[in-house]
Amino acid sequence: MTLVVILVPLAAALLLMMATTGVQRALALFATLVTFVSALFLVGAPGISVPWIPGFGATFTLGAEGASAVLVLVAALTMIPTILYAGRRVEQRTGGFLALLLFVQAGLNGIFLAKDLVLFYLFWEATLIPSVLLLGIWGQEKRRQAALKYLIYAVAGSFLMLIAILAIKPLSAAASYRFSDLLAATPSLPLGTQVWLFVGFTLGFAVKQPLWPLHSWLPDFHQQNHPSGAADVAGTLYKVGGWGFFAWAFPLLPAGAEVVAPVLLLLAAFTALYAAMIATAQTNIKRLLAFASLSHMGIVGVGVFAMQLTGLNGAMYLLAAQMLSTGGLFLLSGMLHERRGSFELDAYGGLARTAPALAAVTLLVLLTSIGVPGLANFPGEFLSLLGAFQSSVWLAVLATLAVVAAGVYGVNLFQRLYQGKETRETRDLDEIELLVLLPILAGILWLGLAPAPQLGRIEAQSKVITEQLDARAQPPAILPGIMSARGE
Amino acid sequence: MNFPAALDIDWVVLAPPLVLLVTAALGILFSLYQRDGRPTAYLALLGLATAGIFNLHLFLQNRLTGEGLQSFGLSYLADQPATALTFVILLGTALAILVSFDYLERAGLDYPEYYPLMLLSACGAIIMVAAGDLITLVLGLEIMSLAVYVLSAWRQSAHESAEAGMKYFLLGAFASAFLLYGIALMYGATGGFRYGEVAAALFSEDFGQPLLATLAGMMILGGLGFKAALAPFHQWAPDVYTGAPTPVTAYMSVVVKTAAFAALLRIFAVIFPGLSPVLIQAFAVLVALTLIVGNFAALLQRGVKRLLAYSAVAHAGYLGLAVLAAGAAGTRAASWYLLAYTLMNVGAFAVLTLITDRNDYGDDLDRFAGLGRSRPGLAATMTVFLLSLAGIPPLAGFTGKILVFQAAIEAGYLRLAVLGIITSVVAVLYYFRVITYMYFREPEYDLPPTRSRATGLAILLAAAGTVLMGIFPGWWYGLLSVGQRLVAGL
Repeated sequence: MTLVVILVPLAAALLLMMATTGVQRALALFATLVTFVSALFLVGAPGISVPWIPGFGATFTLGAEGASAVLVLVAALTMIPTILYAGRRVEQRTGGFLALLLFVQAGLNGIFLAKDLVLFYLFWEATLIPSVLLLGIWGQEKRRQAALKYLIYAVAGSFLMLIAILAIKPLSAAASYRFSDLLAATPSLPLGTQVWLFVGFTLGFAVKQPLWPLHSWLPDFHQQNHPSGAADVAGTLYKVGGWGFFAWAFPLLPAGAEVVAPVLLLLAAFTALYAAMIATAQTNIKRLLAFASLSHMGIVGVGVFAMQLTGLNGAMYLLAAQMLSTGGLFLLSGMLHERRGSFELDAYGGLARTAPALAAVTLLVLLTSIGVPGLANFPGEFLSLLGAFQSSVWLAVLATLAVVAAGVYGVNLFQRLYQGKETRETRDLDEIELLVLLPILAGILWLGLAPAPQLGRIEAQSKVITEQLDARAQPPAILPGIMSARGE
Repeated sequence: MNFPAALDIDWVVLAPPLVLLVTAALGILFSLYQRDGRPTAYLALLGLATAGIFNLHLFLQNRLTGEGLQSFGLSYLADQPATALTFVILLGTALAILVSFDYLERAGLDYPEYYPLMLLSACGAIIMVAAGDLITLVLGLEIMSLAVYVLSAWRQSAHESAEAGMKYFLLGAFASAFLLYGIALMYGATGGFRYGEVAAALFSEDFGQPLLATLAGMMILGGLGFKAALAPFHQWAPDVYTGAPTPVTAYMSVVVKTAAFAALLRIFAVIFPGLSPVLIQAFAVLVALTLIVGNFAALLQRGVKRLLAYSAVAHAGYLGLAVLAAGAAGTRAASWYLLAYTLMNVGAFAVLTLITDRNDYGDDLDRFAGLGRSRPGLAATMTVFLLSLAGIPPLAGFTGKILVFQAAIEAGYLRLAVLGIITSVVAVLYYFRVITYMYFREPEYDLPPTRSRATGLAILLAAAGTVLMGIFPGWWYGLLSVGQRLVAGL
C-alpha cells in the first residue's frame, strides 16, 4: 500500500499525457479515488526497504507509521474534489493540468512516506517542478514573474538543505541514509555540528513552511495561479516545511533543535500574527486566503517549535486539517470566480440571497479555518497553542492573537461576499459543485468530531522527538551514580 | 628505464581502439568511391558496435578474473575504470553520429569523411582513457584532437566555424606544448614515463627534484585543464562550441571531456599525491573558478547553443570536484557523472539541431517560445535534459551531482562542495529559463518543422537513459564498484 499511493497517481499522470481528451477527466478522477482507498488501508501497511544507491548509502525506504498515514490520507481526500473541479474549470490543455496535479500528489505522498533522507529530498525537490509548471503555464497575467520568484526561493532553500543532507552521513558515520540508521548516529553529534546542520535544514523547510521572512513568494504564488483554485490546493498541500522539521530535523538533531527552535518559535509566532493582520487588509480574495494560509502555517510552526508533546501533536493535526479547510476555501474562491470573473472583493456583495447554499458552505469552511470547536482545525490549533504556552507564554499569547485576527478577516470576508447590498443575481451551487464540496465538508466534520484516532497515530511519532529531547535533558544514567559515590 | 619484453602485446586488450582505427581507414577508402555519407555512417555505427562488444568482453573479463588487463607493459590499461569510460565514449560517439545523420544532409555538409574523422577522434579518446604512461597519454590526446580540429571547422560556409577550428587548433597546439614540456620535465625529474614508475620515484626517500616535479605537474595540469575546459583555460570553449556544427559540439562536449577527465583522474590518483600540496590547492582554485565562471556566464547568454557551451564549462567544474577526490569514491562518482552527462548533454544538443536553421543560426531563446505547444514531444524531452543538467531529481543529473558532492565532502572539500551547490542554484535559473520560454510563452513565429528519425532515436535513447539512470542509479554504480582497478602497477 505504501508504494501504491505513490505509484497510482504517478502512473495515472504518465498515462494522462498519452490519453485522448475524452477519458482524461475520468482517468484522473479514478486515480485519485484509488489512491484515497489505498490510503485508507495505509495504517499498519508494511513498509519497503531496498538498496538504491549502494556505496552511497541511499536506500529506497518507505514507511507509513505515525503521522505519515494521516497526512497521506487527508491529502488524498483533498485531491478528489480538486481533480473534479479542475476537470470542470480548466479548459486549455486539461490533461496536462490534471497530470501535473497527480504528479504533485505522487511527490507529496513520497515526502510523507519516505524514511530515507536522500529519498525524502528526491520527492521534496521533484514535486517542485510540477507545481512551478502549473503556475507558469496556466497562471494569470503575471505568472512568469511569480513562477520565477517561487522557483528561486524554493531551489535556493532546498539546495542549501542538500548540503546538510550530504554532510550528515559522513559526519555522523551513520550506516546509511535510512531514518533508523541516522537516528542511531546523529543525535550524538557535537553541539556545534548539530546547530549548523539544523540551520541547513531550516533554510529548506522554512521556505516551504513558509515562515517570515522567507514567505514572500507565497502571495504572488496564489494570486497568479489558475482561477479555479485547484493549483492553489496543490500548493497548499505542498506546504510541508512543518513536516520536514517534525519528521527529520527535530528527531535527528535534538541538540541543534534546542538551540535554534526558540528563534524559530519567535519567527513562527510573528508569522502567525503578521500574516493574519495583513489578511484583514486584503481586498483580493486569493491574496487574503494566501495570508490566512500563511498565518495557519505560523501556528503549525508554533506547535512544532514549542518542542512539547501536545504542541507537536497539534501541529501535525492542524497541518492535515488545514489541507481541507484552506483547500476548500481556494476551491470556493474558484467557484466565486466562475460566477463573477474577479477575485476583487468589490465585485461581490449580497450573494447570500440568491446563492444560499454557497453562502452556507463558505460559512462552514470559514468557521473551520477560524478554528471553531467541532470543526477540523480546532483540535490542532488548540493543541499547538497549548504546547506553545508550556514553552513560552509571551509568544503563545502573540500567536493566540492571530486566532483573534482570523476571526476578523474571516467574518469580514463573509460579510463582503454574501451580505450587504445585493450586486447582481447569482447562480447557486449546481450538482457538480455540490459533489466537489461534499468530500471537503465530510472531511471537516470527520476531523473535527473524531480527532482521537488520528491524534493517537501522530502521537506515536511525536514521542520519537520528545524521547530524544528527554534523553538530552537527563544526564546519562551512569553520572548520578558517580555523583552520589562522591557525595558519600 | 627497463623495457619489459618487447612482445608484451595483448591484441584483444587493444581491440576497441584498433577496431575504430580499421573502420575509420575503411571508411576513408570507401568514401573515395561513394560520395554519399549514409553508407559510411552505417559503417561507423557498425565499427562502434564491434568495439563495444570487444569492450564488453574486456569489462566482463576484468569483472570475472578480478585482475586488470593491460598491454605494452602497463602502458595501455584496460582495467575497470578504463573499460567503463570506454563505454561512455563509444555511446557518446554513437549518439553524436545519429544526430549528425540528417543534420549534415540538411546543412549541405554531407561529405563522407566526417564519420571516419569522428571515429579516429574516438579512437584517440579511448587511448587517452586507457593510458598508463605519459607518452601514451599524449598520443591519444593528439589523435583525438587533430580530428576534432577538422570537425569543428566543418561548416565550410560559416566563418564562425573556420574561426572555431583555427582557434581550437592554435590554442590546442599551445596546450599540447605545455603538456609535452611538463612530461619532459617529469621524465627529467623521475626518469620514468609510466605512472607507476613516476609515482615510485616521487615517493622514494631519496627523491631529489621536488621542485622540478612540481613544475612539471603544473604544466601537465595546464595542458589537461585546457582539454577539460577548466577556467581560466576555458576561453576557447564557448567560441569553439558555438562555431562548430552542433553535432560536433555535442561530441566535443562529452567525448573529449570524458577523455580529459579520465586522464586527470588517473594522474590525480597516482602521481599528484607525490607532488607538492600546493598543486592540489591550485587545482581546487581552478575548480572553484570554473564553477563560478561557467555558471554565471551561462546566466547571461541568450543563445541556447552558447548557454549550453557555458553549461559544459560549469559541468567541468562539478567533474573537477570529483577529481579532487580521485581514488575510489571520486573516480566512481566522476565515471557515473560522465555517463549521465553524456546522455543529457548530447540529448540537449540533439534537440537543438531540430530547432535551429539549417546553418546552425537562430538558436535564440525566442525560438523556443511556445515549443511546448507546437512540438510537445521535443519540448518534453528538452525539459528532461535541462532539468537533469540542473540537477533536479529524480533525473540522472541529480544523482551525479550528489555523488560528486558527497565524494568531495568525504575528501575534505566541504567549502568547495558548498560553492558547487550554491552555483547549482544559479544553474537552475538559466536552464529553467529555456523551459519558461518553451511552456510559459506563446510561439513568436512559425518554425519550419524539422524532423529526423535518426536524431529522434538519439533523443529518445538519451531521454530514456537520463530518466532510468535517475530512478535506478544503483545499476551503473554497481558496475563501477566491481572489478580490479589497476592503478598502473602500484
